[in-house]
Amino acid sequence: MRWGMVIDLKKCIGCWNCVLTCKAEHFLPPGVLWCRVLISETGKYPQVTKHILPIRCNHCKEAKCVDVCPTGATQRRDDGIVWIDPDKCMGCRYCMMACPYQARVFYSDEREYFPGQGLTPFEELGRQLYQHQSGTVEKCNFCMERIDAGLAKGLKPGVDREATPACVINCPTKAMYFGDLDDPESEVSMLIKQRKGAQLHPEYGTDPSIYYLE
Amino acid sequence: MIQTRPFEFMTRFTPQTEWIEGPGVRLWLAFFFIELGAGMFFISSLFGNLWGMFIGWLICIVLGGGFHLIYLGHPFRFWRAFLRPQTSWISRGLIFIALFIIFGAIHMGLSFWATSPLGLLVLIDIIAFLTTIYGGFAMNYCNGIPLWNTALLPVLYVVAGFWGGAELALGVILASKALGVAGLRIEELIRILLAAFIVLVLAYLTSVRYGSAAGRVAVGEIVRGRWWWLFWVVVIILGIGLPLGVVIHSLRVGLAATPTVLLSLSIFFELLGDISLRFLILKNGFYNPLTPISSVPSTQL
Repeated sequence: MRWGMVIDLKKCIGCWNCVLTCKAEHFLPPGVLWCRVLISETGKYPQVTKHILPIRCNHCKEAKCVDVCPTGATQRRDDGIVWIDPDKCMGCRYCMMACPYQARVFYSDEREYFPGQGLTPFEELGRQLYQHQSGTVEKCNFCMERIDAGLAKGLKPGVDREATPACVINCPTKAMYFGDLDDPESEVSMLIKQRKGAQLHPEYGTDPSIYYLE
Repeated sequence: MIQTRPFEFMTRFTPQTEWIEGPGVRLWLAFFFIELGAGMFFISSLFGNLWGMFIGWLICIVLGGGFHLIYLGHPFRFWRAFLRPQTSWISRGLIFIALFIIFGAIHMGLSFWATSPLGLLVLIDIIAFLTTIYGGFAMNYCNGIPLWNTALLPVLYVVAGFWGGAELALGVILASKALGVAGLRIEELIRILLAAFIVLVLAYLTSVRYGSAAGRVAVGEIVRGRWWWLFWVVVIILGIGLPLGVVIHSLRVGLAATPTVLLSLSIFFELLGDISLRFLILKNGFYNPLTPISSVPSTQL
């Protein structure tokens, strides 16, 4: 089993909903983003092309970050999810250097969303439910808590909302798909096959688990 | 073509920042002092210069190790880094440094009170060599940064570390006011290391420049970018040109007849040039963008 994601760039409208959903789902502190939307333009007026690219950790099969982590904090699970154990991370940021996709972020110090005005109810709840350790590196974990909890209930990630990453189920244009890349019958595998899904910078030899459709 | 504003992140050639900006400056200093200290120990040990060994050992531990530790987000977890030498160069580096500290102390202690066995000298020199090389390999492993991902980088760093170490070792000998045979031998070594450094800098920049688009951008930024003066004035003219001039002068008149002030200046500017080159290499570590690059310059958007 290898969890993966397919993002249909023809459907993506660059609304940043995945970014906001991720922020809310993981109670991400200020300055920390686990997913981003990159927007660039090529050409000159009137022939301008706009490129919208939602990015997050690619959960690479040959993850450089896992190799370089000196403490073993960055680990790859059997289902392909690459995650960071914050209790083991010493904050050397070598993984950030080694990631060619720059999908990681360093949570340097605890801050409030509104400095000097105390914590918002969202932040207070976050500190109870989803603690972030300052001085450690963070990144997308494919909402592994949702996947694990869903699987425990007999649900199928990518099919059942409760077991699927938050960004996928909240995408208003349904541009994102989630499923098992090792299952040739899964929706993600079929899409990759039919529409020639492409990985980001395959030349790095990392074999990302996120594919893009154009 | 390079990222100059936050929203251009990874849509243009984006520089790494974590290892050079803000607290990242500590890591730049850590790599420099580790390699300088180990290089100085190595060179001094070849000539049995106990003071040189001790100062190199101290630079390595206090400055190199100290900057490494204060850079970490959680310094007290550093012991965990001993656990992954099979894949991580940081882990290997920490082990090399730890061995260097232990065996270096034993070797110096034995040399001071009795005679250190030749086997131990060979062992500690191998460890010192490995200590100088790990920083280059740690950076070289990052294949997303073409400026670092070249086999010449670790070699360049080792030569720079040994050259700086040799210059400092010469400084220690000059301070003792007894140039002797060791001083002459170290000066001969400096000539070789200087020539090797010049060749390596040229080969490194040329190979990166013609290796990839991000490499071309990085080298362009080094020689023409915001820090161009640091490269041309500090690295090339003062860091290489001045020591080269001193070497040529000492070849003509002999080391003993070369003014101490000139030799001291050569040592100072060599170290300044070395640390500046390392700054430029860290500062211009560009990642390839993830989206097609706009042909419109950032300033015109």
